[in-house]
This record gives sequence, structure tokens and C-alpha cells, in this order.
Amino acid sequence: MFSSDDTIVAIATPPGRGGIGVVRLSGACARDLVFQVVTRREALAPREATLTKVCVREAGTSRGSDHAIVTWFPAPHSYTGEHVVEISTHGSPVVLREIVRALVAAGARLARPGEFTLRAFLNARIDLAQAEAVADLIDAATPLQAQTAFDQLEGTLSTRISALDQSLLDLIARLEASLDFPDEGFHFIEPRDVVERVSELVSDLNELLSHEARGRLIREGATVVIAGRVNAGKSSLFNALIGRERAIVTDVPGTTRDLVTETMDLEGLAITLVDTAGERETQDPVEREGVLRAARARDIADLTLIVIDSGQVLTDEDRRLLESSSPARLVVASKADREPQWHMDEAVRVSTLANIGIGGLKDAMRRALTNEERLKDPAPLSNLRHVLLLKEARATLMRVSAAIAQSTPEEFVLVDLQRARTNLAEVVGVGSSDETLDYIFSHFCIGK
Amino acid sequence: MTFDVLVVGAGHAGVEAAYAAARVGCHVGLCTLASDTVAHMPCNPAIGGTAKGHLVREIDALGGLMGQAIDATGIQFKLLNRSRGPAVWSPRAQADKKRYGQWVREQIGHETNIEWVFARAGRIIVNNGRVEGLALEGGDRILCSALVITTGTFLNGLIHEGQARRPAGRADEPPSIELAESIRAFGFEVGRLKTGTPPRLARCSIDFEKQVVAGAFIEERGDSQPTPFSYRTRTRLENKISCWLLHTNERVRELVQQNINDSPLYNGQISGIGPRYCPSLEDKIMRFPDRERHQIYLEPETIDGDEIYVNGFSMSMPRAVQEELVHALPGLEDARLIRPGYAIEYDFVQPTELLPTLETRRIRGLFFAGQINGTSGYEEAAAQGLIAGINAARTSRREDAFVLGREEAYIGVLVDDLVTRGCLEPYRMFTSRAEHRLLLRIDNADLRLTPRGRDVGLVGDEHWELFTRRRARYEKNARALEETSVVSAGGQRMAASQLLRQPEVKLGDLIATNKVALEVDTESPEHDLATLETTIKYAGYLEQEMSRAARARRDDRRRISPHFPFADVPGLSREVVQRLTQIQPQTLGQAARIPGMTPAAVAVLGVFLNRLSPQVPLT
Repeated sequence: MFSSDDTIVAIATPPGRGGIGVVRLSGACARDLVFQVVTRREALAPREATLTKVCVREAGTSRGSDHAIVTWFPAPHSYTGEHVVEISTHGSPVVLREIVRALVAAGARLARPGEFTLRAFLNARIDLAQAEAVADLIDAATPLQAQTAFDQLEGTLSTRISALDQSLLDLIARLEASLDFPDEGFHFIEPRDVVERVSELVSDLNELLSHEARGRLIREGATVVIAGRVNAGKSSLFNALIGRERAIVTDVPGTTRDLVTETMDLEGLAITLVDTAGERETQDPVEREGVLRAARARDIADLTLIVIDSGQVLTDEDRRLLESSSPARLVVASKADREPQWHMDEAVRVSTLANIGIGGLKDAMRRALTNEERLKDPAPLSNLRHVLLLKEARATLMRVSAAIAQSTPEEFVLVDLQRARTNLAEVVGVGSSDETLDYIFSHFCIGK
Repeated sequence: MTFDVLVVGAGHAGVEAAYAAARVGCHVGLCTLASDTVAHMPCNPAIGGTAKGHLVREIDALGGLMGQAIDATGIQFKLLNRSRGPAVWSPRAQADKKRYGQWVREQIGHETNIEWVFARAGRIIVNNGRVEGLALEGGDRILCSALVITTGTFLNGLIHEGQARRPAGRADEPPSIELAESIRAFGFEVGRLKTGTPPRLARCSIDFEKQVVAGAFIEERGDSQPTPFSYRTRTRLENKISCWLLHTNERVRELVQQNINDSPLYNGQISGIGPRYCPSLEDKIMRFPDRERHQIYLEPETIDGDEIYVNGFSMSMPRAVQEELVHALPGLEDARLIRPGYAIEYDFVQPTELLPTLETRRIRGLFFAGQINGTSGYEEAAAQGLIAGINAARTSRREDAFVLGREEAYIGVLVDDLVTRGCLEPYRMFTSRAEHRLLLRIDNADLRLTPRGRDVGLVGDEHWELFTRRRARYEKNARALEETSVVSAGGQRMAASQLLRQPEVKLGDLIATNKVALEVDTESPEHDLATLETTIKYAGYLEQEMSRAARARRDDRRRISPHFPFADVPGLSREVVQRLTQIQPQTLGQAARIPGMTPAAVAVLGVFLNRLSPQVPLT
């Protein structure tokens, strides 16, 4: 259970030592509570960074422990919509914890994860889609993820949803007006215009949803698994792709026993790259477990790189791997500096030793993951929850088109139009009521 | 004098309240100023219209008066929205306003349980938070267990006609001042609303036929087969008059613009808020300057009288300007003004002061119904009168509340909107206010509500007998359509009900081609057929709607006890706590509909209710 009546406090900067550390206070008492931990006695000016000293009272005594910059953001023009005070100190975890402890002793409550943003949402400073974007922005691992999240925080998705909602509301209001005011001597909307406007809405939703795959890929990233026979050069490839010597590379077959995982930025895509134990029959229980784990990793991969030594003839194990692999795979001909012993059109030739083909492989990986040439632009839609709601809205609108084609009366069609609006409203987390009548009266002259 | 129930006011709310309370066995006093203004129509001489027609059907299904009254005295009948779907078909009729009032007065006269009290109400007498009676102006006291106040526009009524102002309840009747003071003195939240009426013209000064030929007027006739309002009307209704449609012109616009400073609506003289859906001529011209023309209907107020009502031309300009405006209309150059239009401001009590029974929360046994609650319209008033009357009777006998759900009746929507959301402008019913509109049709109002009316004792034996036969026919016919096998146009064999779901197939055609044999009421077969056709043809939509309604009902069954400490619920903002404390919602569903309640706040309240209160079902 949360409460919005009390004042919450938390260290806002990451744990550990840093160049600067910030404690954030939000709530009705934030402004008064701050004086429990600083030496300054005069009132704070709104939005003015004020230099003072941290001073925490303990067992009747008090002593200064750090310099502090204190800034008060008065309600409602703050991040949470409440009074917010930020205390910036040199980033000593000890000092920061002292401040928080003293504020809690003075009546503040330790904030739960995300509670500042929750309050911003409850106080209507941001909508639900924007609140989700805050979390995405903080979690972003690539600049493209950050850009996508920031755009949504700025309201790009909310703006598009509200434009869709507005034209849906206009359509609903016209239909409702025709039903409730049949005596006005004219139609508020002709049936063929309804069909046209619904199909416009569907194509707008199509456009938005066309970014789904790319957007989710940007937000959620992808898992790429490197598979292949023992000693095919998987770990060398792994290290070459992530750009450092992460996995142990030796000439001994079966060096890699467990899964080795690392994150890489593939032109904006957050890739979880997994190196696996090489395929072979083995009696070693540790290695056998490693081979099993490799198979499981391939099952969940968005893309599998099947690495085959180009200097050796294909073995039954290579063929088995190729046959059992999912369509989302790339064949990598490793050790391409050697005399090739086999040929496949689809194979990407790579030599980590001679530094050949790594760029081409990254390109091929990106193409395989995105089906697109470039991934520069942030996507307007990236969250699965939003995707599902918009798909539901689209399906509902398509049902509306079908119903109109069968001359279903307006009041039935309106049920589905309202439902589509509810779907849109859920994306941004607002309920809508009574708007229809307000819209009717502010836009049309009604009167029998 | 002592009554079980005393009703103040004999307008559309008052007569339904008195009739309902009397029919269920109470001794009722009906207090009004004069007998010739009972069930009076001071504005539009018409009953019904979109959503209002639904209300009248529901009043009739419950055993009220209005449906039979308009069927008996209507002079032109139309079913609105006939070209649209069955959920928005709505009957409307021009009334002979003189005969309408007479008919109602006679019905009231037949009720031996009702006693007239011709007097002016003064002060509400309260003892220990409970109503005890009414002091008349002049001092006489009447005692009662329950008091229903239906004052219409009389509370501190103030009529504006140009710069001229005069205290009045209606055209030539004095307002209620003492009663208004008495209500304010109890601390009720009182506001000001405004409404208006158009000028009346002399019928003999207008040559309708000539103007139709000249193209200035379009004659509007009633339906060739009139649809009655009442399920109990067994005779064929007749159209006895025509109405005429004409349009405003450029001259009307100029005149309004030139004289706008003489309109009390625009010179600051009127502070009350008027209805947006029924704008005055001034508002039409000033707020929508792009509309080239506006529709005006000329409607006879009686069959044989001289007054013509100018529908769409309500205004509060000085009389001289009104004459000029009328003469500017095409075809009315020589029309004679019988009396000018006016605007009227009056007190209303914020209906958030009320329980869903229309009893006030401040004073037990005191009920408000009609325009005093911020509504406009005869039908809205009558519906509230019925609910207040039933509940006043029940409270006088310590019986439990009679409340209709939003998924059950337009009346339920009306009352819930009023007590939950309050009024910022005069409230009129629209079909779009009913979120379960598909279930609330005119063809099934009897199926929905007559059993409820029977339960409370309002539906008499004859009415009940008629209804049970109709319900049996409906059930039998629905079964027959499931069981009869027919061949579709494509040559497939299927159940008749399945064939009927195809958009182009009509039940009437299936009967005409002898594909199915049904048992229908020979005197009004349309009613039987409409219910069957709609419930079968749109079964898919209706089933979805019913499951939505069931979900909504779940929240409406989660009871919040009186004096629930909203302030103690953690996580609710101060504003939300304030609204909840003010409205005192009785259920979680009602709480969710309070303006300003966020989904998050509803969720928090729901969790808290779950944790701390046992679930008491709402009966």
C-alpha cells in the first residue's frame, strides 16, 4: 500500500561512491524537513540552488559533515507535482545515508522503488506511457534505447495516441449527436464518411504498429547465441564481437564449458551475446552439462551464429547443427585466412586472427535481426503492453468497418468505437467520461 | 391534517409522486396553488423525444401516469430515429396541453387515497433530523411521515423580459419565497439555474396553407401508424394536427446582433446557467455565427385553442424586439404575438445532497424531485417524482429503498447521475448518457421494469395480467424461432433464429412468407415483434453488453457503509477524500463515477474495502 499524504525520501544517485550524491525529498513537508539536515536557517527561494552545509544532529550534538547544494521545487511545478527538495553533496555514501537516516527520524518515509514517478503519475504530471518511459530511460543500455525512451517521455507516443483519440472522439460525438438530436435537419456525419474515417484510424494504427518489431527490439534487445563444434573458434569470435578478451581462448578443444554472456551495442541494439560449449560426444560430466546448456541457449536465441571452421571439411556434427537450427541463424565460416575446405552461399567469412569480416558479420547480424537496413531512428512504439492495446483497438475498429458494411445500426457500432477509445485511454492510463456530450455542445449548435 | 406522504407541487414530478405513494396504499396530501395548473406544460407542449420517450415508457412499465396521459391527450405522434437502430427509437408526441392537465387531474381525483391541499407551502418542519410536516404560508401546519418537494421553477423564481424583471414561478404566478428560505436555512447547497420559453403566436393570424404553398413553411405530419407510449394503450392513436417547419434568416441574425445588449442573457443581468442543448435564440446566433439558419417549429398547444408555440425561438429580449423578430421570420410577417417569451432564473438544490432514493441526507423523510434537483424536462421530472413517491411511501412504512440500476433503466441512470455527479447546468436525459444503452430499449421496458413495479405494489392486477401474457408470448415465440427450421435464400437449412441474424433478413418477411408462425398481440403486434427481432438479430452485441453490465454490477454491489472514514484510506489525495465525503457514495461503483476519481483512487478504495469491510450485498 502506498500513501501520497506523507513525505518520502531516497538517495537518488546510484549506490557507491561518486562525484556527487543527491538525496531527494518529496511531499507536503519536504520544505520543512530539509532544515533538519542543513545548517541554513533562512527559507529557501524557489528553484534556486543554495549553498549550505550538511549538519546532522546526533545525541544532542550536531556537526557539519559536508557541503551541500539545496534546491526547492515548489508544488505543483516539480517532478512529482509535490514540494520537492534535492540535497546534493559530495558523493560519500556515508554522508548520504546519514542524511536519509536523519530525515526518516524527523518523519519522512523511505521511498519505495519508482515511488517518485508513481507520484508524478498520480498527480497527473505525466501519463502512464511516460512513466513507463522513465523506467526505460533509466534502464537504457544503448543510446538508441535512451533516445526511444526519451522521445516517449517527451510524449511522442502520448501525442500520437491523443491525436488518434481526438479523431475517434470527434467521430463518436458526431454519431451520438445524430442519435440524440435527430430533429436538427441535417446529418452530423454521413455513413460513408464514418467508413472512411474508421479506415483512416486503422491505417494510422497500422503505421504506428509497423514500428512494433523494431521498437521492441530496441527496447528489449536481442539474444544472439554462438554455437558450433569444439574448437571452431566460437570464443575468439565472441571476443572479437564484444571487442575485448572476455572468454578464455586456447587450442584445447572444449575450453568453454559454461555459457559466457556479455552485452554489446550493435548500432543501437542491445545484444546479449552468449558463447557456448562446443558440440561433441563426451564422457566428461561437466562438459556434457555445458553441451546441454548450449542447446537450451540456442532454443531461446533471437539469432544463432553457427560457427564452422572453414579450414576443415564438414563433419556430421556440423550438418546436424545446421539442420536442427532455427531459420533465424547465420552461418559463420571461421578461420577464413585458411584454405577453404567447404562452401556455402550464405556463409559469412570471418577471420579473427587476420581481422577479416567482423564488420560484415555485424552488418549481417543487424539485418537478420531487424529485416531493415538501418536502425538509426528511435521507434515511437516499443512497449509490449502498448502494442497489445493498440492491436486490440485496431481489431475493434476493423470490426466496426465490417459492421457498417452490414448496415448495423449506429448504437451497436458505437459500442465498439467506445471500446477502441478505452484501449487507447489505457495506454496513457486515463479514464474518459462525459467528454462526448461536452464535445457535442462545444462544437455543434444544438436545439430543437 | 396528517398524511403518510405530503407532496408539494402538482407538476409532472408531484403528480407521479402522489399517485405512486397512493397506489401503494399511503394516505397522500397533494399541495398546490390551483387546480387548473395541475400537470401543466409551461413550455413545450410535447412529451417524449430521444431518451425522454424511453423515460416515459419506463414510468409506464412501473405503473406510473405519464404514458397513459399522453396517449389519451396526444394530438400528433412520431417515433423518432425510426431509420436507426432499435435501441434509439424514441416516441414523441404533441400534447393538447389543456386536456393533458385535465386528464391527469381526473386520474388523481379517482384516487381516494389522495387529498388536495390548495395552499402555498411555507416552511419545512423538522424535529431531530427527521421531517415532521409542513407549515403553510399563513401558519397552518400539516403533519406527515414523508415530505416530497417538487417546486419546479418556483423557488425564488425571477422572470426576465428585456430589462424588466419580476419575481414569478411561471408566467403569471407568484414565486415561492418562504419555502426557498426554509430550504436554504437547513444548509442545503443551493444554486441558480436559468431556462427560457419562446413567444406564443395567435393561430388565427397565420395562414398556414398559403405559406406552405409559398414555400415558407414545410408541413410536418405525425406517423401514419402512431406508436403509443403506454403498454396499456389498446386503442389506435390518431394524429389530429400538423406542425410547421421554417427557418431563421439573415434578418433575424441582424436583429439579434443589433439588440443583443437588451438581452438579459448578454448584458450580465442573468447569472443562472442555462441548458446547452436547448439554447436561446441569442445563444444560437452569438455562439454559432457561422450557422446560416436555424430550424423553427410552429406547434399548436391544443387542438382547438389559439396558441402556437414557436419551438426553437426561446428568448428574453424586450417585447418590442420579440415582435420584430417574429415578423422577420418568413411567413410570419403579420403574425400576432399573444405573449412574449421570457427567461426564468430559479433556485435548485445540488442533487449530490440526495441519496439514490431522492431522500435528502440532511433530513430524513424529506425528498426532492424534478427541477429542484437541477433537471429540465417534464419526463425527467416525472421519473424522479415516481422514484421519490415510491420511496417516500416505503420510508413512511419503514420499508427498504427502491433503487434502479444504471443497467436496468434510464431512470436509474438519471438518478445516479444526479446524486453522484451533481448538476452544473440543467440536466436533460440523452441516450448517450446510458452506457448500457443497448439493453435499455423502449421495446423491453416492460420486461425490465413491470416485475419491479409489481413488487413494490404499483402495478395493478389488470396491468400485471396484460404483462404476464405478453411475457409468455415473448418466451414462447423466442423458443419457436429456435425450433423452427427454415431454408435460407442460399438454400441452406437452419433455425429461423439463425437466419434472422443475417443483416438483410427481417422478421416481418419471415412471417409474411409463412416461414414461421408466431403468436402475437393482434392489437399491437409491433411491440411483440420488435422485442423478438432485436433480441435475436443483435444477440451477439447484447450478450457482450450483458456481460459488461454484470461486471459493472459487481462494483455496484460492493457496499460502502454510511459514514465510512474515507480520510483513513491511505493513498487517497485530499481532493478525492473531500469529494467522497461530500457525495457519500453507497457503493464502489458509485464512487468510481464521481468526477475527479482516478482509476488509481478507485483501486485503492477497492483494496481497502476488501480488507476492512465484510461484503454486504446491496438489496
